[in-house]
Amino acid sequence: MSENTEIMKYVATTCPYCGVGCTLNLVVSNGKVVGVEPNQRSPINEGKLCPKGVTCWEHIHSPDRLTTPLIKKDGKFVEASWEEALDLVAKNLKATYDKHGPKGLGFQTSCRTVNEDCYIFQKFARVGFKTNNVDNCARICHGPSVAGLSLSFGSGAATNGFEDALNSDFILIWGSNAVEAHPLAGRRIAQAKKRGIPIAVIDPRYSMTARLADTWIRFNPSTHIALANSMMYWIIKEGLEDKKFITDRVNGFEDLKKTVENYADAEAIHGVPLETVKDIAFRYAKAKNAVIIYCLGITELTTGTDNVRSMGNLALLTGNVGREGVGVNPLRGQNNVQGACDMGAYPNVYSGYQKCETAENRAKMEKAWGVTDLPDWYGVTLTEQINQCGEEIKAMYILGLNPVVTYPSSNHVKAQLQKLDFLVVQDIFFTETCEYADVILPGTCFAEKDGTFTSGERRINRVRKAVNPPGEAKEDIWIITELAKKMGLKSFDLPTAKDVWDDMRAVTPSMFGATYEKLERPEAICWPCPTEEHPGTPILHREKFGTADGKGNLFGIDYRPPAEVVDAEYPFTLMTGRLIFHYHSRTQTGRAKDMHREVPESYAQINVEDARRLGIKNNEYVKLKSRRGETKTRARVTDDVGPGVVYMTMHFAEGVNNLTNTALDPMSKMPELKHCAISIEKIGGN
Amino acid sequence: MAAKGDMLYAWTTDSGIAKKAECGGAVTTLLKYALENKIVDVVVAVKKGFDLYDAIPVAITDAKDLDQTAGSLHCGTLLMSTFIQKYLDGAKSMKVGVVVKGCDLMSLIELGKRNEINMNNVLTIGVNCGGSVNPILGRKMIKEKFGVDPDKVTKEEIDKGQFIIEYEGGHKGIKIDDLEDEGFGRRSNCRRCKYKIPRQADLACGNWGVIGDKAGKATFVEVCSDKGADLITKAVGAKKLETSAADPKGIEIRGKTEGAMLKLGEKWRKKDFTALRDNLWETINKETSRCIKCYSCIDKCPVCIQIPFDGRADDIMVRPGFIPSDPMFHLRRFAHISDSCINCGQCEELCPAEIPLALFSHAIRVEADNAFAPKLGAAPYKN
Repeated sequence: MSENTEIMKYVATTCPYCGVGCTLNLVVSNGKVVGVEPNQRSPINEGKLCPKGVTCWEHIHSPDRLTTPLIKKDGKFVEASWEEALDLVAKNLKATYDKHGPKGLGFQTSCRTVNEDCYIFQKFARVGFKTNNVDNCARICHGPSVAGLSLSFGSGAATNGFEDALNSDFILIWGSNAVEAHPLAGRRIAQAKKRGIPIAVIDPRYSMTARLADTWIRFNPSTHIALANSMMYWIIKEGLEDKKFITDRVNGFEDLKKTVENYADAEAIHGVPLETVKDIAFRYAKAKNAVIIYCLGITELTTGTDNVRSMGNLALLTGNVGREGVGVNPLRGQNNVQGACDMGAYPNVYSGYQKCETAENRAKMEKAWGVTDLPDWYGVTLTEQINQCGEEIKAMYILGLNPVVTYPSSNHVKAQLQKLDFLVVQDIFFTETCEYADVILPGTCFAEKDGTFTSGERRINRVRKAVNPPGEAKEDIWIITELAKKMGLKSFDLPTAKDVWDDMRAVTPSMFGATYEKLERPEAICWPCPTEEHPGTPILHREKFGTADGKGNLFGIDYRPPAEVVDAEYPFTLMTGRLIFHYHSRTQTGRAKDMHREVPESYAQINVEDARRLGIKNNEYVKLKSRRGETKTRARVTDDVGPGVVYMTMHFAEGVNNLTNTALDPMSKMPELKHCAISIEKIGGN
Repeated sequence: MAAKGDMLYAWTTDSGIAKKAECGGAVTTLLKYALENKIVDVVVAVKKGFDLYDAIPVAITDAKDLDQTAGSLHCGTLLMSTFIQKYLDGAKSMKVGVVVKGCDLMSLIELGKRNEINMNNVLTIGVNCGGSVNPILGRKMIKEKFGVDPDKVTKEEIDKGQFIIEYEGGHKGIKIDDLEDEGFGRRSNCRRCKYKIPRQADLACGNWGVIGDKAGKATFVEVCSDKGADLITKAVGAKKLETSAADPKGIEIRGKTEGAMLKLGEKWRKKDFTALRDNLWETINKETSRCIKCYSCIDKCPVCIQIPFDGRADDIMVRPGFIPSDPMFHLRRFAHISDSCINCGQCEELCPAEIPLALFSHAIRVEADNAFAPKLGAAPYKN
């Protein structure tokens, strides 16, 4: 029987949504995916899935899929052959490079696509155009984690795995709504709760995760540093710091101690009563093993990197790094946000975080890739590339991203993209961003390609091809390698995902031992995995940190307010987040009918008192305005948010990102997506 | 000539099957015969996936692929009925032969009643089942309680009240009771199960009661239907299978084994249900308040068929878009399946919020079955 007439087969693969990396079985019948079934053998999720996971197959055969290359001619998209489209792309990228040099181009890749796509994409940018202007959307979720944890611990990744929370004696969750954003990591919290492990959630909002906790602490939005400093003041004051750990393994204690002395009582900033601050500080410090789990509530601010370092401070101060049940764990947002960074789709590093500024690294890559003159400069980051459109950057290549909906200040993004001479978008659907493209290349979704996603616990999970792509759509590796060949580039004879992976392994010491053969196991491999005999590293920093001197670094960090705070004209603080039923710009979940049915349009959580004062009823329409734009949405009147605070999710077009702020964290270039000032206007009507 | 009610020992004449078989190879032989002679169009069984903790359902149309399905996998916690319902057109357009344990069979019967599966087109070969083990918990149990690397295990079995493993360098058995007292062992729904020999199948097969020189070399077969008798008769006639009358002592031993399992099931029911009794409402409320509305407990439930949302009136008490789900989300399901929950455990096993759903619905059914009669089924009116 040929593949296309099989009545039924299971293909074990990895869920395409969040960074937990659940295993699932795609059910294939007669060449089509007809459902998802549980994979109970998976140590990650044991067959259990969230609402998005069980419906993740529904968009695969959508009639809306891009099935042929499209070229914009006289303002309209017309179908084109691959030959014509790729010729045009190669010609225009080359012409831009010849005229404007390596800084005239920008390359952006999604964290939703496989490692192999991310690796070959950055290789194409670096080899073909001698540019480091290559970035991925980790920049607008966990860029501060990469920056902050690198400074604190010497590695920008989560220290411990999801299940390891069950080895803890105290779980501190800060700025993470894991139950909705990472449901199967949230399950570990639920398991911990059932086992009686104490759980504290620090969040301005009474989230689904806060509901699970024993202790929920509401604090004023974006005042993390003040609260963490206050906690550390009291830990030191009571002598609860881990003195031996600090002596043996940590730098910077005096600097930290001096700084936190100013935060004995910072309630005026963070809004948490002093006794509560002391209580949470002492419980964290006294626990034998305490873990911090955090997410975008920490990172998506102009203080993102410092917020992350504050988490590192807490853990280092109390000796909670380097063994079971402890650590600092960012829950990485997208399925491959860890991997996209690991692959070197980043403006200052090659795969495995090998710095471009280091001559030895450049020489190694030049030799391996058969190229000369790789750039040493720090490339332009994701949203800075948008800012440079029409100025330094004249042509851009976007793989699997939808900046018009997901980047801050949508109006700004649209205006900037229009300034480009040439824009290529490679995607599976005609997204809002495609409107601004000159050429659209139809790629493949997760079910149509082999490869790997690296989850938030550094676990490299296999993605396995279940069906062929629709129409003329092509595997993304094929698209890039064909373009490279058209441009006469060497070292792109890599027809399969495994070939690309092996090409990456050969130049990446931290992943050299993670062969496809080893990744076949349901347990897969957590990097670092330096040799083929190495079993992988589920827990980082056991003996020493990844820093140059092997020590962890404490930092004295002062609180800074957000870039834009409330005033008379914009009197409400807007926070943003995610819903369990949708994924990012809904390109996929919007096409899963039950997900769309659950939440078909945006809404804003508004405090009961505020709503009463403004005469706003539950479920009626309101207009939200910021300095950058406005959006119409439904009011959800609730005490889940405090007075003066509004919460809105980021999934809907012409939604919250019409309002958000483009101001950047100076260290990681993270835009302040989670804090801006808005006004609320009653519209009325249901 | 086999007949309904017969108790037989049966064994294959195929040396290839005999070599791989655990106890005579009768099940594989009967399936092969049925497929080759177009008694069925497709055979649904379970094969080993990545390793012996990974059970994967397969739909086989070529008899030569059947040998990959021989043997039992106690870490297989699958339900075969919904597989047939969802992916094989509910056996409405094809004849399906399927190997079933108790929960597979009960759920096939229930889906048949609901017109989701055409049972006239389904040939069921039952196998005795003492319970199954969650694969990940099973691996952990082998590591922690047996002190053996689970990757080194070559065979596992449940026999004489023990979980037994064979591994590179030896074999080891530990009493299931001891393992379960420490939170390991069988799934909690399996512990409460009292359907060990699937007698509503066409044939009920297993190794319980095979004694003497036939031990390990023959399968015990109880012929439970005319369809089953016909299959045995034809397979014997075609010289694919040989049979002899079961040893009366063997029949007695089989009965005793079953009786011991039922007693154990009763013990677990008492234990689990008693623990639930005192704070029932609070427990259900607390546990279900973690629900994230993945719908797995509904989609994977063999007795809870959802009316499609298109063309159905909006729910009053279950609002879309809210988690935790409104309480009625679970209450109406418990009510709906109150007289038909078969305690297959899928809802609980697949729940990402760790809600002990099968415990709740099983308790409701058992208590209601004990207290109320008669069961009337669907009413001829709507209200």
